[in-house]
Amino acid sequence: MLLLVQYTLVFASVLLLVALGGCISEHSGVINLALEGIMVIGALGGALVMKFLPYTHGESSQFLMFICVLGAAVLFGVIYSTLLAFACINLKADQTIVGTALNMLGTALATVVVKSMNTAISPDDHSSEIKYIDAKKAFLTNVGDFELNWFMIVAVIMLVVAFVLLYKTKFGLRLRACGEHPQAAASVGISVFKMRWAGVLLSGLLGGLGGITYITVGVSTWKFENGVAGFGFLSLAVMIFGAWHPFKIAGAALLFGLFRALGNVYNGFDFLKALNIPSAVYNMLPYIVSLIVLAFTSKKSRAPKAEGIPYDKGMR
Amino acid sequence: MENYAIEMLNITKRFPGIIANDNITLQLKKGEIHALLGENGAGKSTLMSVLFGLYQPEEGVIKKDGEVVKINDPNDANRLGIGMVHQHFKLVECFSVLDNIILGVEPNTAGFLQKAEAKQKVLALSDKYGLQVDPDALIEDITVGMQQRTEILKMLYRDNEILIFDEPTAVLTPQEIQELMQIMKGLAKEGKSILFISHKLNEIMEVADRCSVLRKGKYIGTVEIANTTKEELSRMMVGRDVEFVVAKDPAQPTDVVLNVEGMTVASKMHHNNAVKNVSLQVRRGEIVCIAGIDGNGQTEFVYGISGLEPLKAGKIEFLGQDITKAPIRKRNVMGMSHIPEDRHKHGLVLDYTLENNLVLQRYFEPEFTSKAGFLRKGNIRKYAEKLIDQYDVRSGQGPITPARAMSGGNQQKAIVAREIDKNPELLIAVQPTRGLDVGAIEYIHKQIVKHRDAGNAVLLVSLELEEVMSLSDRILVMYEGEIVGELDPKTTTVEELGLYMAGAKRQ
Amino acid sequence: MKEKKSLLRNGGFQTFTTSIVCIILGMIVGFLALLIIEPSGAWGAIVAVIKNFFSYPSAAFRLQYFGSTLAKTAPLIFCSLSVLFAYKVGLFNIGAAGQYCLGIALALYLAIIVQLPWYICLLAGIAAGAISGALCGILKAFFNVNVVISGIMLNWISLYGTNLLLKPAMDPSGKDTFRLVNKAKQALLPTLGLDKLFNKNQYVTIAIPLAIIAAVVIWIILDKTKLGYELKATGNNLNAAKYCGMKENRNIVLTMVIAGGLAAMGGALYYLSDFEQWNVNASAVPGMGFNGIAAAFLGGLNPIGSIFSSYFITHITVGGGNVDLSRYCAQIADFISSVIIYLCGFVLFFKTFMNKRLDKAEEKKIARARAAAEAENKEGGNA
Repeated sequence: MLLLVQYTLVFASVLLLVALGGCISEHSGVINLALEGIMVIGALGGALVMKFLPYTHGESSQFLMFICVLGAAVLFGVIYSTLLAFACINLKADQTIVGTALNMLGTALATVVVKSMNTAISPDDHSSEIKYIDAKKAFLTNVGDFELNWFMIVAVIMLVVAFVLLYKTKFGLRLRACGEHPQAAASVGISVFKMRWAGVLLSGLLGGLGGITYITVGVSTWKFENGVAGFGFLSLAVMIFGAWHPFKIAGAALLFGLFRALGNVYNGFDFLKALNIPSAVYNMLPYIVSLIVLAFTSKKSRAPKAEGIPYDKGMR
Repeated sequence: MENYAIEMLNITKRFPGIIANDNITLQLKKGEIHALLGENGAGKSTLMSVLFGLYQPEEGVIKKDGEVVKINDPNDANRLGIGMVHQHFKLVECFSVLDNIILGVEPNTAGFLQKAEAKQKVLALSDKYGLQVDPDALIEDITVGMQQRTEILKMLYRDNEILIFDEPTAVLTPQEIQELMQIMKGLAKEGKSILFISHKLNEIMEVADRCSVLRKGKYIGTVEIANTTKEELSRMMVGRDVEFVVAKDPAQPTDVVLNVEGMTVASKMHHNNAVKNVSLQVRRGEIVCIAGIDGNGQTEFVYGISGLEPLKAGKIEFLGQDITKAPIRKRNVMGMSHIPEDRHKHGLVLDYTLENNLVLQRYFEPEFTSKAGFLRKGNIRKYAEKLIDQYDVRSGQGPITPARAMSGGNQQKAIVAREIDKNPELLIAVQPTRGLDVGAIEYIHKQIVKHRDAGNAVLLVSLELEEVMSLSDRILVMYEGEIVGELDPKTTTVEELGLYMAGAKRQ
Repeated sequence: MKEKKSLLRNGGFQTFTTSIVCIILGMIVGFLALLIIEPSGAWGAIVAVIKNFFSYPSAAFRLQYFGSTLAKTAPLIFCSLSVLFAYKVGLFNIGAAGQYCLGIALALYLAIIVQLPWYICLLAGIAAGAISGALCGILKAFFNVNVVISGIMLNWISLYGTNLLLKPAMDPSGKDTFRLVNKAKQALLPTLGLDKLFNKNQYVTIAIPLAIIAAVVIWIILDKTKLGYELKATGNNLNAAKYCGMKENRNIVLTMVIAGGLAAMGGALYYLSDFEQWNVNASAVPGMGFNGIAAAFLGGLNPIGSIFSSYFITHITVGGGNVDLSRYCAQIADFISSVIIYLCGFVLFFKTFMNKRLDKAEEKKIARARAAAEAENKEGGNA
């Protein structure tokens, strides 16, 4: 049972982080379909640090590792998101195509990087895996039997930060104006381009964080060929279900996290085990749930009005 | 030496193919209300875009208080104290009035919003100038009049000295227009300089001190309102004498074509019903006009009749048949045509060519589609060429011009051609002349009258009072989803019409 | 002069040019990546990618591997047609990957477990994809669910569903399903003698001509028929379609049914040719559906163009397998094709850029002509 709670919370943290990223990006007016790719690249950044940064079990080393991994994931995510921002904001490219391309590119790029790196280190190694058994322990603390992943705390902090940022600051007011009515924002001297860039970069930051969190859940090695199994898109479903509002998104993330966690731990429940449902069904569960939830929430959903529409100065 | 607040001297702005502003001079005195008059496409918006730094002119200079200034973007204009109320309000619908006012100049401490003092300032301003607003209300919940007051407060909050009103009266009731005129006069008295962009001569005559006229991108001249007449201004604007009334014989209505009983349509914008228990009849040989302020249920009423929205209650009979639940295609084929309010939303497939748009209502007829389901492209071309010729639809490449590449006026003509050429028993025309120049308006009005005279019914929905008064045979006023009065255009006055439209009077 | 202008302005020509530009830029980026990994072999590697089967020494081999490349092109053509068809109606069918899976699932299940002949397997596969597409369309039309998100969800559901369904058909010696040659000969696609043309490459089947026929049929539907007129109108302006009495929701669902059927047909045909077997522990949907997106856009969203773009993408993907694997990895080809799609996102930008340049050039010309005319007038006046 505790295990279920633990997995639920950690998957919810992933979904929350990434969905908040999507939420900020969409409030600025850009639909970020590239979150999946951003997660992969963010995860890659973190994994590389875990692989190469020497780690001893001392507390200071632990903290250093955590900060460096976090920093690398954020940095990689942000850098990667510039590709989306540049294409969608400056060149007014189709946000769906670019997002899709970046998702494919994320996985392909990470695979190429990891494989070439592995091959360079030992010529017979053609796998796309990074192992980080030891380093991973840096973000885990046991509270009784409960294994606390530090990224859960990061997710909670980000939740509060995102809320304050969006609704209590000058920046948030301007950002949301750009997603709702960019012409209005521009008419009072706000640079729509800048605000949208900020929105996308922030979503890159959060997406990168989500990526690194995802690959530290329950495993200590990651095969980059697999990407992040649609979590970027699940997060978008969470965001829609959460009506583009941070706290509602948090609730939605918990719900989806629960269904995802079931797939990992259903063996621990005798009655579930007795049902003898194939594991594939548990694997499908979060996706099926999200489809059903979307079917019931999308009709009335209130997305930022100008999302997905490139801003053109000449159009008034 | 005159004391000018802002001067635009010899401004020339070219775009590929056209000269939008050709050597235009506009001088705004301190504390005056200066009207800028011109038809659609005369170059007024381009001139304003130059003033706000959205475009850089090829020639000419802008002076503020006698000194040459360079305006590169709206921020520069803002710093010079220039503010504008746009024709289409620049308000974020899901923000509060206060948030909209402070947007861009937010009072803050380390980036955190401090709204309390801003609210005090807004309340003080609204008191001083008589601009009633509720700072905490959301824009989507308040009336158009209050939205406009929010826009004015936005300028005052920024201490703007030069206030530009772009077609501010288009969405207001006659009474609200009167209020606005008072507000403008009050602002001018306080020393603000006001530029009032309009093509409505009555309003200009009433409120302005001077008036500059543009025509087809050229500067025609500036006159003192005290020394001029409406007729002279109109001649300057159009370049010839204009008929203010549509020539038409008295209506001779015969049998009923459309019979609506107790129609109720739900609203998508709010929880209330948009159309409430409306009943009316339209007969052959008459033009019935639904008048009203924008957003009082006219749109939904037309959606209900044309089948775009289902009815919540009530019954529609068309040519004696109950069509309450009939699909749109059936209504169209039976003889209903609809010139939609929003030509880009409903009227055209912008990425289709002109010819494909012209058969949008008929492509499935045997003339245009073979039995096997293949399009007869030759016939489509021939038909399109006929319509283009007959209705004088102008475009770059004729039938194969993408609709997107056509001017608004010609897009509208294409829709009118398509809908009238179907020779419908009932023509529903919603704002058929919106955004057109005088020549095109006259032409479309003539077509509508001709269609009536051929023994068909016309249901006109219009927000333009002049159009309502001159074109219709019968006026039904709609207010908050109900028909509040039936008026005869020959005996009623604009003032009376206004009272009905504002909900101050009902039968 | 006039003819040159009209060529540069021609939409088809512009699309072709932008596609070529995308390819070249994609190749350059790929080459740079190879340079970074290992400079010394980079040139050889990019050449291997581009050359693909041309790098084989014997003509017979070359022909045989050309056949294999074609056999892999066929499913990609179907996937790109699926994406393209939906896109023309304003829907982004990222679910093609899942529909492709379902086509495989049903076809292989009926072939191996139920032992049915190929045409029934094929039809069932198509039906499975069509139903999945219909679900996506219904969710969009009646519940306003974003097709990209529902498509992705359906991809994962389809993947796990396929694994589940095909588990009984697994060859115990590995993780893949049985080869049809061994277990279900009746389900092998006929080759109509095409295999003999390609040095007895048994994977060259009717799938290839069927793919080309499908492309032509889609082109005719979109361009020449009332159905195409309606569907495109629905895609371009849903409100206008509704306004003129088209059944816009039916059109959306119908489009997705056709798109789903196309993708599934590609999957079923490919696996019924026995070229590949399904790994029942697959942890990701095959890339074919996503590459279909690349091929559709690279082909300028033209069904005929997608035949060529599909071939090109398959060519470099297969070529990717030829790089020196001790130094580079085969995914370099995936990397290049995703860069190419990214660039395809800019097509609109490229085109407007091109047209602006043309406008400017023309304006200058007109201005020059006017100046010349004025000068002439002056001279005339002086004289």
